[in-house]
Amino acid sequence: MLIAINPSDPRPIYRQIMDEIRRSLVVGTLVPDDPLPSVRQLAGELRINPNTVQQAYRELEREGVVHVKRGLGTFVSSVLSQRSEREELARSVATRALREAHRHGLSVDELVEAVRTAARDERRRHGETDE
Amino acid sequence: MIEELFQRFEDRPVAARTRGLCKRFGTQTALDGLEMTVPEGAVYVLVGPNGAGKTTTLRALLDLTVMDDGTAEVFGLPCVERGADVRARIGFVPDSQDFPYGGLSVDALLAHHATYYPAWDESYAGELGRQMAIDGRQRYGGLSKGEARRVQLVMALAHRPPLLLMDEPTDGLDPLAQDRFQALLADHLADTPTTVLISTHRVHEIEGLGDCLGVLRDGRLVAQLERQRLERLVRVRAEVPEGWAGGALLPLPVIRRGGRGREIAWTVWGESAAASAAFADAGATVRQVERLTLEESTRALLAMPEAS
Repeated sequence: MLIAINPSDPRPIYRQIMDEIRRSLVVGTLVPDDPLPSVRQLAGELRINPNTVQQAYRELEREGVVHVKRGLGTFVSSVLSQRSEREELARSVATRALREAHRHGLSVDELVEAVRTAARDERRRHGETDE
Repeated sequence: MIEELFQRFEDRPVAARTRGLCKRFGTQTALDGLEMTVPEGAVYVLVGPNGAGKTTTLRALLDLTVMDDGTAEVFGLPCVERGADVRARIGFVPDSQDFPYGGLSVDALLAHHATYYPAWDESYAGELGRQMAIDGRQRYGGLSKGEARRVQLVMALAHRPPLLLMDEPTDGLDPLAQDRFQALLADHLADTPTTVLISTHRVHEIEGLGDCLGVLRDGRLVAQLERQRLERLVRVRAEVPEGWAGGALLPLPVIRRGGRGREIAWTVWGESAAASAAFADAGATVRQVERLTLEESTRALLAMPEAS
């Protein structure tokens, strides 16, 4: 798993960490019972305040995505609804796209239509057949 | 001044505090009644233009400069009366590199420095030296600014002080050393409970670490607040009709006006939703409401008109 954050992203850093961990779960680079990096490790790696990492882990724990084993660290929960993680992540991506569309004066329908068109073009570019 | 821009942190334990601190150098006023509170455990970023009084503030906490009026305290100890006890609790990275021991090798300088601090951690000092790529055999006086900076960081951190004061700590560091400094400070904070007061012009370098901001202008703080509280400092991008006058009627404090013609980008103080609604009520078509980075917040607060 690889956690990337961007200071100029409109999401607070702890939110970005939460979304990155969700992303890892959805793409499968993080699976149930896996340990998360320690607070120290991630704070040092990302050059951020350890409290920010702690906040992200605490929120994820509250949502039942991870749990803390005392003295051992933070682990991905054994029973995870992949579906809800996917939905949560999709909503986060969609919200960002919607805000960006609104900034450009585009409506929801225009955005959705453009996403379908762009997806079709992408598939063609990669030589796949349209369904 | 907008009252909400100034948190007093009365509900939190305090690491450092100044009350009514005044300092004049001849006809120049460096500090003009400074009221600053650094909560325990904070990474407090102190910003301000050159000559705003940042260095004088740090020196007051260390009792290195005699103040004309006011008081300073560190962990409840008065800095003037208990100077030695206060300094023992502080790791200091000064803005200058002139030490009276320029002729010593770096190793000898560190050994000398260690004798003043009972809590000096020899193995940690060695570890920091390796991470900062310090060559201990070199003569301290012959080091470049950046190299001296790294030695000063080791001296400030290796006794794991409860309070770290850093005056432009990344000044002179090359990009790689700069990056190492950030990683090292993040590691240090994870291992050792430390309050940090860091004066800097390069806020982006401390973007992820800073959780408190103090904005110093003309010897006074015009803002002092937690990073989280800064989420209420938002930039609204909107389209406005020709000759729009609705801005004067906004029920929110305006920190900074920007944009051109029919497109505006204003920084205001308020919740995102409230800000958005206020601009819509004033006849603007809101396109985006975004939070600011620490660096952008700093710039907005520094440029804030005195009257607001």
